Amino acid sequence: MKKLLAVLVVLLSLVVLAQEVIKIGAIFPLTGAAAATGVKIKYAVEVAQEIINGAYPEINLALAKSAGLPNLNGAKVQFVFADHQGNPELAMAEAERLIRNEKVVALIGCYQSSCTKPASQIAEKYGIPFVAGSSSSAALTERGLKWFFRIAPHDGMETVFFFNYLRYLNEKYNANIKRVAVVYIDNEYGVHAALMVKEKIKDFPEFSLVADVKYPVSATNVDIEVQKIKAAKPDAIFHASYIGDMTMFVKKYKEFNVVPKVVLSYCGGYQDPQFVVNLGKDADYFAGTNATTPALFAKMPILSKINEMYKAKSGVDIDGPTLEDFASALVIAEAINIAGTTEPEKILEVLKTHTFEAPYFVSEKIQFGSDGQNIYSASVMTQIFNGVYEAVWPEQYQTHEPVPQFPDWKKR
Amino acid sequence: MSMLAQLVVTGVLVGSVYSLVAVGLTLVWGLMDIINFAHGDFMMISMYTVFWLYALLKWDPLISLPIAALVAAMIGLLTYRLVIKRVLNAPGLMALLATFGLSLFIRNFAQFLWSPNYRFVGESILSGKRLIIYDVIVGIPQLVAALGSIGMTLAVALFIKKTKFGKAVQATAQSREIAELMGVDTEKVYMFTFALSGICVGVAGTLLSGIFPVYPESGAMYGLLAFVIVALGGFGNIWGAFYAGIMIGLAETIGGFYLGTQFKYAIAFLIYLLVLQFRPKGLFGW
Repeated sequence: MKKLLAVLVVLLSLVVLAQEVIKIGAIFPLTGAAAATGVKIKYAVEVAQEIINGAYPEINLALAKSAGLPNLNGAKVQFVFADHQGNPELAMAEAERLIRNEKVVALIGCYQSSCTKPASQIAEKYGIPFVAGSSSSAALTERGLKWFFRIAPHDGMETVFFFNYLRYLNEKYNANIKRVAVVYIDNEYGVHAALMVKEKIKDFPEFSLVADVKYPVSATNVDIEVQKIKAAKPDAIFHASYIGDMTMFVKKYKEFNVVPKVVLSYCGGYQDPQFVVNLGKDADYFAGTNATTPALFAKMPILSKINEMYKAKSGVDIDGPTLEDFASALVIAEAINIAGTTEPEKILEVLKTHTFEAPYFVSEKIQFGSDGQNIYSASVMTQIFNGVYEAVWPEQYQTHEPVPQFPDWKKR
Repeated sequence: MSMLAQLVVTGVLVGSVYSLVAVGLTLVWGLMDIINFAHGDFMMISMYTVFWLYALLKWDPLISLPIAALVAAMIGLLTYRLVIKRVLNAPGLMALLATFGLSLFIRNFAQFLWSPNYRFVGESILSGKRLIIYDVIVGIPQLVAALGSIGMTLAVALFIKKTKFGKAVQATAQSREIAELMGVDTEKVYMFTFALSGICVGVAGTLLSGIFPVYPESGAMYGLLAFVIVALGGFGNIWGAFYAGIMIGLAETIGGFYLGTQFKYAIAFLIYLLVLQFRPKGLFGW
């Protein structure tokens, strides 16, 4: 009888061990001005959780084949969501709550760089890993933090990418682009992007910065901003804007007949599929970096499958920032699995040394440098044609040739 | 010179819409002494009304205007019956907290129902149309919004000044008890004032729906600016709110253009602070 009881106890504890749930905090703007994006990211993280916890042998990803984390007896992963509402103080408070009360072993988030910054400081204080997906301010990886990692290319990399693209348009299409304007929201994301433009333009002497237009968060209109841009007559406009303000800008560009040669957007509103839904034909010819685009789905079957699962929840195709936050969820889970434990130091070691397979990105890999930045960060330049985000540069990923001149608004 | 003319025109157009939002607020705050934090959210609901009538039935915003105004009026009425009436005799802070809670509820409920996505009324009779007068560009949707605001403000001002019911509103604002002794049904006055405030903000929301995104936080900044405008214009003064709205619009555009677009609201708030130092009852308060 005693033996039977002992066997039962062992079996029960094995079952309990197998059903262990590993909690990871996920802090995003689920309400507030950026909630439209935050809710989509939540869907993407939920897809990542389904892939990790379920068995999807048809998806060629490390954690898809079997249910749960194989190196931790099939332990399930639970992403515990918290809402920072776009408020940095709340992001910090939620990070602390998740670590202290929910006992999460790692954090992901926060979309807006202004919120990622304080939340990751809390992770640093408690000594647990923080993997940011889409936050793009270069300042985040310039702080010398031990526990912080970022998947998206930062705005410094994006800025160099923008200037190289302009150079490509000048060389290949004789676009004659010289005058650049930067338009940005007055927060961590926008201000740092503008700072990068001012810094990196020195390496591209053929371009000059003719306008620097900063606008307030929660602007009720962008009339004077557009009038300032128009007065400067830029050939290229760099935008660091979210979906609501970006849409208002496009409407005003049309009203005031602003016709630049190119408009390039940092990771933000342009990448949100709602941009095309809201603006219809007026969205055409706008461009920006993107970690993905539906035009690439046909070439990338794993991405296509992920998109299928995502679209079933969200009703729209997965976009660049959302895919980067999806990646952050998979990477942290894979790091825990490889470490075989939830001990922070061991997870940290994996994050620092391992190269993660990421067949859903054009770069196909993720590896963090000594500053925590993904050294394989790769985006494609996309441009919208007939409501479709087409890959236009680099040429090896091209699904459509770029058009380096906006047609007159009346002729669309 | 043409740039300055453009800025003045833009400022007046932007300011007129601010005015209409503020006129609705000045009715309940200035006349009834009730601070309604959910005022901007009533506007958001009217914007959604217009958006859904457009998305589902392809109704133009101008056709939806009476329905959106009616919906906002109903919400104003319900707010009075279900929230304000219960805290009317409590300290003023109670009404403030109750409407703050209501504001949070409306925003989150809107997000729950319609998601936080930014939506636009893509096509309307007015969209994309503009006038060009000596290099000055005037968007027709903005022009119609401004004219609508002026018309609505005029109608409300005349109603309050000339009609018997308007006089009852003024009497209740001066002294509820005495108005009751004179036979004024103050309950009806409060209810009607809330409904009228809803109509103002409903019209403003409709006129804005073609030029501003529709999302659960649409009304937040407009609501905040309306508080500043009401205080600047003088509590309860309908024309005061109108002029103050125009003033804020001009300060925002001209000041923002020449001093830095990032400061456009800071300039507006600074003017408000300065005016209150010298005229605590506002520019047109008595």
